[in-house]
Amino acid sequence: MRSVRGKLLLLSAVLVATAGCATGEEWNTWYTHRTHFASYDHLGFSVRNTEGSAPRVTRTDIALARDEGWWGKPITVSQEQILER
Amino acid sequence: MSGRGLVAAVLALLTLTGGVAVAAPPADRVLSADQYTTDKGRALARAHGRALQELNADIYHCWPWVEVQKSSIGFYRPKNVQQDDRYLSARIYIEQDPSPAFARLRFEERSTAMFSRYVGPLLRRMTKDQAVSADPNLDGFTAILEWMKPAPPVGGRPVHETLAVFIDKAGAIEYLSGRVDIRTLATRARVLGFDGETALGVVALGAPWDDNFVMTFKVANYQLEPGVVC
Repeated sequence: MRSVRGKLLLLSAVLVATAGCATGEEWNTWYTHRTHFASYDHLGFSVRNTEGSAPRVTRTDIALARDEGWWGKPITVSQEQILER
Repeated sequence: MSGRGLVAAVLALLTLTGGVAVAAPPADRVLSADQYTTDKGRALARAHGRALQELNADIYHCWPWVEVQKSSIGFYRPKNVQQDDRYLSARIYIEQDPSPAFARLRFEERSTAMFSRYVGPLLRRMTKDQAVSADPNLDGFTAILEWMKPAPPVGGRPVHETLAVFIDKAGAIEYLSGRVDIRTLATRARVLGFDGETALGVVALGAPWDDNFVMTFKVANYQLEPGVVC
């Protein structure tokens, strides 16, 4: 029993250590390419369209990209200058 | 339940529900009925609420490079009109890649190009539900086209150019039925321009043409949601 518990503990430690390293690498990649991967949603989109698979862009992808790429409130005419309710 | 049974149940559920939920546009793009200031506006909104949400969804799915902001679709009254004339209005922001050729055009020429590209197709989408244009309370259509001004940002903020096109119902129907061409439509329309927040007044359009851009342009690798037809 002790042996089984010990193995489980060891396995957990290895998994935590491995996950920690992977996250660190992913973070570095994300940080250096943060204009491409501005969020995990974007990252997911990029990973889904990997080489060899048929690329696909959904309406949700576009909406997310637009939200993340938004570069400030534009100077534009208000609806009230053109229309009345 | 066995593993195989669970998989079968999930597949059955996916089949019954259409697989995945279709990404829908935000419903607040359409002005709600309680936001109108007159009974005529409220009556139109209540009678054609579904048609307006369908218009919203059509633009969202079929023109993914276009953005519709909150309360951009509704039965608005053109500003400074004395009577309670109600026009079905849609305001769209058109995203496009920077183009030196487009930037070299004068505002009137850019406006003519945008009129040519979007007014006809937008009118067709706005009149897809024939009950809307047949409603005697409807007096016309407004297409508001907005795009990024090809100029440096001001105070760190991008500047938009806007074209507001007001067309009476008879003129729109004549164009849509093919009795008059896009040039005649342009001469009958009232067209106002805006540079950022600054009103430029009536815009003298050049000679517009029927541009088939929206029929032919495809966003690379764009996949329509299941069940959506454009």
